[in-house]
Amino acid sequence: MLLQQIMNGVTIGMTYALIAVGYSLVFGILRLVNFSHGSVYAFGANSILFLISLNIGIIPAILIGILLTGILGVLIDKTALEPLRKKSAEGITSLITTIGVSSVITNLLIARLGSQKKAFPALFPTGEIIVGSIKFTYTQIGMLVISLALLICLLLIVERTKIGLAMRASEQNITAAKLMGINVNFVISFTFFLGGMSAAIAGTLVSSYYNMAYPNMGYTAGLKAFAAAVLGGIGSLPGSLLGGLVVGISESFAATVLGSEFRDSMAFIILICVLIIRPNGFLGKKSIKKV
Amino acid sequence: MKKVRFLLSMILIIAVAFGIVNSPAAADEAPIKIAVAAPLTGDNSEYGIGFYNAVTMMAESWNEKGGIQGRSIVVEQFDDKNSPEEGVSVANKIASDKDIRCVIGHFASGVCMAAAPTYQDYKIIEISPSASHPDYSGIGDFIFRNNTVIMHEAKASLDIAVNDLGKKNIGIISIKTDWGVSTAGIVKNLVEEMADSGATVVAHEEVIEGSDDYRPAITKLHDAGADVVICVGMYNLVAPVSRQYKEINPDIQIVGFSNSYSEELIKLGGESVEGVAFPVIFFSKSDDPKVQEFVANFKEKFGSEPSALTAQAYDSAGIYFTAVEKLGDEKDSDALRDEIANLTYDGVTGTTKFDENGDVQKSFTKVTIKNGEFVLLEDGASK
Amino acid sequence: MRDKKISFNNLEKFLYQPSVFMILTGAALAVLLIVPWLGLNSYLMNIVVKVAIYITLALGLNILVGYTGLVSLGQAGFVAVGAYATTILTKVYGWNFFTSLIVCVVLAAAVGIVIGLPSLRLTGTYLSIITLGFGEIIRTVIIVWEPLTNGPMGIRGIPRPALGGITFTMANSGMYYLSLLLMLLVMLFCRTLVRSKTGRALRAVKGDETAAVMMGINVTYYKVLAFVLAAVISALAGSLYSTQLGYIDQNTFTFDMSTIILSIVILGGMGTLRGMVIGSIILILLPELSRSLTDYRFVIYGLILILMMRFRPQGILGWKSRLPYPIRKTVIERISGPQNQTADDGETNHA
Repeated sequence: MLLQQIMNGVTIGMTYALIAVGYSLVFGILRLVNFSHGSVYAFGANSILFLISLNIGIIPAILIGILLTGILGVLIDKTALEPLRKKSAEGITSLITTIGVSSVITNLLIARLGSQKKAFPALFPTGEIIVGSIKFTYTQIGMLVISLALLICLLLIVERTKIGLAMRASEQNITAAKLMGINVNFVISFTFFLGGMSAAIAGTLVSSYYNMAYPNMGYTAGLKAFAAAVLGGIGSLPGSLLGGLVVGISESFAATVLGSEFRDSMAFIILICVLIIRPNGFLGKKSIKKV
Repeated sequence: MKKVRFLLSMILIIAVAFGIVNSPAAADEAPIKIAVAAPLTGDNSEYGIGFYNAVTMMAESWNEKGGIQGRSIVVEQFDDKNSPEEGVSVANKIASDKDIRCVIGHFASGVCMAAAPTYQDYKIIEISPSASHPDYSGIGDFIFRNNTVIMHEAKASLDIAVNDLGKKNIGIISIKTDWGVSTAGIVKNLVEEMADSGATVVAHEEVIEGSDDYRPAITKLHDAGADVVICVGMYNLVAPVSRQYKEINPDIQIVGFSNSYSEELIKLGGESVEGVAFPVIFFSKSDDPKVQEFVANFKEKFGSEPSALTAQAYDSAGIYFTAVEKLGDEKDSDALRDEIANLTYDGVTGTTKFDENGDVQKSFTKVTIKNGEFVLLEDGASK
Repeated sequence: MRDKKISFNNLEKFLYQPSVFMILTGAALAVLLIVPWLGLNSYLMNIVVKVAIYITLALGLNILVGYTGLVSLGQAGFVAVGAYATTILTKVYGWNFFTSLIVCVVLAAAVGIVIGLPSLRLTGTYLSIITLGFGEIIRTVIIVWEPLTNGPMGIRGIPRPALGGITFTMANSGMYYLSLLLMLLVMLFCRTLVRSKTGRALRAVKGDETAAVMMGINVTYYKVLAFVLAAVISALAGSLYSTQLGYIDQNTFTFDMSTIILSIVILGGMGTLRGMVIGSIILILLPELSRSLTDYRFVIYGLILILMMRFRPQGILGWKSRLPYPIRKTVIERISGPQNQTADDGETNHA
């Protein structure tokens, strides 16, 4: 029972981690809470569902959908956020802009696809493996493997590639990075692309786990993943993973032990406790305040 | 200059936005207006759109006959998003239109009960095709429902679970709304009353409407040894619960209520809703010629079969139009109210006659899902 | 181009002459007082009241965001506290609406202190995140504390405020005057606050926290005070809002409500009073009046936010509060001579 709950929590926590990566990377570079990310996640799942309904095959539909969502991320940055950066506007204007973007994306999805829940096909065969007292369904195993592989990929990109180096440089100091000849705007767009792609993958996995997708699905998932990102330490990929797992497991326990009502706010209760004790999250670096 | 241009453009945007809004519908010689207030967007929009289609169809059939006393009928739709808050706001909007004397709707009992006091205040007839909460019709004498009170429906659902399916260990999963809480309580009491049949409630779990993950609740029901689950919720509860429950127990029997009778249930639930059973007071495959005609017309017009609640909305509109025709016009609210209260209406959902509370009594048909279609329970059980 | 700018500023100056300003304020008040006799139907009156309440909410948040520079994303939580406190006291315990307001204020102040306290340790975005979290937690409390709040079933049939035998309803315009009164009182309070020592201290905190500490300003005290004031104002508006709605549940006070209030403040122009009025009128009226656009109306709402932030990030009336410490125009003219226009040119400060 206990182990089973941990297992359920880990499964869903991994997808939070995938969404959290998008918040974390963007916040790391721009110091911006990208509130449109939840709607990007919903866009990913819903566009893939729409593409599947066009009968182009499940795998191509998912790949195209992931690519489209990545492009959407870039588009958000290029159309809405980059102009603000050029004007070096205050942080709050970017924040409001992302809220506006979120409203536009979600409501366009509703207008085009309808707001009701729609069945999402199962991506993994039904069935389960029983190890000791824990049941692993194939869906859970598939979700775990894919999210973990993806997170490792992302980590490798950030740590081992040239563009990853540029990302880390921009995160350290955006002006200095510019002076070193880094095309910061490209780096930022690339970050949005990565964030969008991983959100789309998370959206697909979650939708297939619950067997449904709908335009408003990004609302709570987005807020919780964001909490996970902050919890783990924003800007840190292992932090996102840790945050996602903590949120996922605590939710799973809250839902069984305390009742399903507590589920949605567990992320925030833990977040507040952690932030008050460690203002930069579990794995966040202490930022030096410049005077 | 920039400021001026900016101000002008803002004014322009607002003006345009308002312009779109204020394009009034062409007014002909004072038509009779009827409002449909129901969720037209969101998860329960399936029901609301069904209401609207049904009322429109009824209105068109009257208009073809030349309307009522030569006046045409106009149907206006209002979206309450299935939220009580929005329902009150819609009720106020309807009340501000002096020409609307009757509302067909709201869908959920909680929304109906939040909006009903406003209709009662303004003496507007409200006929809900779906509200089944015991307290609903008691709110006022202008408040009617063309649906049975949940007591009777719950009895029918339990009858399916205990007698037709032969299960004794009942699990209940209910949504936390006015309707859900009161219905779950009623089901529990009914099970206690029929204790001699050996049936017991082994577990009861409450969930929040619209969540995605019911697994924690399902795990508890499963651990308590439930072999039949009464699903107190709309199709958006029944479908995921069936699917997620069958992951851990493929043999579980799911029993719902008449609001499960919706094409969306099959679309969302797929194979997992096979065998889900529930009682309804209207079934589209009935051999009653009146029903057949209605179903054929509806299918031709909207491409899908009408559900029970849609048919109830159809009759509700018919009741109002008949009452208005008998009176000649809809000006006198009190006379209209009395006329409706005393009317005996023969429609597709059987004979409707309101009792002193504004409730109706109907007989139930038991329905289940087989091979992706709704069939009578006795046909579906004899595999 | 230059001419137009000057004439625009002249117009502004003309409008701000004390006598003209008084006349205009008087006229505006008179118009507001006769609104109920304009023959608006009850639906429109409901929207007018909603706008007035949102103006009040925005004024409350403005103290935090506009004056003190603390961005709160959990304002709906404060509104919920006020709404539930008054609703429960009036409906369940049969209190008078106006007596329950006192409890509501005390409770909101306490919640304001609790939510304001993390601001001692956290700054900037992290503080906003905390407020967001608190907003969500308050919703969970509403769901879980079922014996008191009736959980997700919400509270129906919230009684209208009554005083001395008069019930303030929508029909007799009592609700309108009540919300108008609250709005005007809060406006007056904010106006006095900005010009007071406290207001200057708040703006010093916003301008430069370190410098404020150097000046001997007790930053902690003023930050928590700003939270308390914002909480109390929001809670009062929430009390009225709940009686207007007649029904509340946890979904009345979602993150969306917080973002709408914040958007009003930013759109209208942080730190201004009139901006809150303009912002509320646009953001509340537009979605209500464009119901015929159904699904697309919130797309338009989003587009307005994006475009505004793109082309006018300081808000519609943003130029009104360009100076951190406004000095009267007459004083500026006396110091720098009448031909000097730079101090009036707000956009250079923001560019």
